[in-house]
Amino acid sequence: MNSLAALSDSSSLSVRLATRGDLTAFLMDLTAEIGADAYMLVAIVHEEDRNTARILASNWIHDAIELVGRPLIASLAQTPATAPGARPRSLLASQAPELPGVLNGEEAALLDVLGHREICPLSVQAGRNRYFVLFSAERIDKIDQGALIGAQMRCCYALSQIPEMLRQAAAQDPLSDRERECLAWVSEGKTTDEVALILGVSANTVNSYVTHAIQKLSASNRAMAIATAIRNGII
Amino acid sequence: MTDAAEVRDDEIAQSPFGERRTLFGDFPLRPETQRTVTIPDAVRRCRWMAVDVNASAFALFFAGPSTERPRLVPCFDSSYPGVAETTRRIAGGDRSAIARHSRTSSVPCLWDDGEDSISAVSFRTLGWAAKIEPPVGGTSGLAFPVHADRGQCGLIVFLGAEIALTPEGMFDIHARCFSLFDAVVRIRPGEGGKYPSISKRELECLKLTANGYTSDEIARLLKLSVHTANQYLTNTVQKLDAVNRMHAVAKALRMGLIE
Repeated sequence: MNSLAALSDSSSLSVRLATRGDLTAFLMDLTAEIGADAYMLVAIVHEEDRNTARILASNWIHDAIELVGRPLIASLAQTPATAPGARPRSLLASQAPELPGVLNGEEAALLDVLGHREICPLSVQAGRNRYFVLFSAERIDKIDQGALIGAQMRCCYALSQIPEMLRQAAAQDPLSDRERECLAWVSEGKTTDEVALILGVSANTVNSYVTHAIQKLSASNRAMAIATAIRNGII
Repeated sequence: MTDAAEVRDDEIAQSPFGERRTLFGDFPLRPETQRTVTIPDAVRRCRWMAVDVNASAFALFFAGPSTERPRLVPCFDSSYPGVAETTRRIAGGDRSAIARHSRTSSVPCLWDDGEDSISAVSFRTLGWAAKIEPPVGGTSGLAFPVHADRGQCGLIVFLGAEIALTPEGMFDIHARCFSLFDAVVRIRPGEGGKYPSISKRELECLKLTANGYTSDEIARLLKLSVHTANQYLTNTVQKLDAVNRMHAVAKALRMGLIE
């Protein structure tokens, strides 16, 4: 009886994601369900001393993305983003002329004109990888705020099913498992010899993993590689 | 109470678009959304959640950093300040599968003892969750992977034969687990939630180190002698209770001292 009741409630139906098309279908359904007009799924990457958004899925028109720009999308996603468990908040473009360091009046007006008058940025965890989903609507109060928590958790669950696809699309984690593990231990303060002991390989091997990791992260030394990896949520 | 009021004022102040949004819905105004400041507070919050899902026991674990051999480290459980035998068994032995899961996926795990307990019936409706082998035989339970700002991973487990949960209720509980874990990771550094007193200059040096600058370069940029730059970094390492610079950089980033 219980399970039948659950089946009749579409919001509780689980979805199995396997392809890029499944992801789009999932996000489109969710957008419609909560009353939003648009969705955008982004990963934030740290490049050249600033954050920028890598867009993984979106139904924004191309020109809107270009006009708003990826760095601004990154700060829109990050600054007011609601973490799972926090109270969802939305950004009202028309009423937010001043969001210091994030959005100025001109940019707010631009978003308004482009049909993203109200934006709800949510942060989504797929394991330790973090992504951001921006639901937006052209009219204020169109988005059902009460449905956002459920939508956010379902995004967490759905994105957890396709870790490889997202990692590749985001290209935020170029490291191999071994390289990532070595770097994680170094960030815990372990010396090369200690890491070698922990992983049961030689110190030279550890050094070569770390060197490769430094190169892949385009860092200039270990400290910078660790910082980049932590900023990008790799370790 | 004053604590909760402070949090709200705080949030309104830093959210120019938030004024008309902060009061909607009944979600935030539950007892456990007050700012958690100590482990006993966190235990109390977790107990509220356990009551809401009708679980008989709960536990919060941290998932260690290794991806190859992940490890669950108990933080507290329903026997706080003691540690229950079940908690030890979930953390100990060859239970790395559930630890690895919490690092790579946010999907809740559930298991039951195979009988038609209330939990087992309720779990059949939770389509999004993944069914796993019981980490401890003869129990039913739910495990929610949780993640905090700086990459910390954890697992919050609820055990009991009479857990009652709807799919919508699961979203809500999981969201509250995230919020609890976020509060718990804030307690851990410095044990009092207080950041070690690091001077502005020391932070500057650390930030530059994180951006890949060597001591020589930092000295030149900040117009210091190399010895002074090194001394600042040594101080920072000590204050953060780190073993070397790399460790200090990682700790400072994870604690949010530097961006």
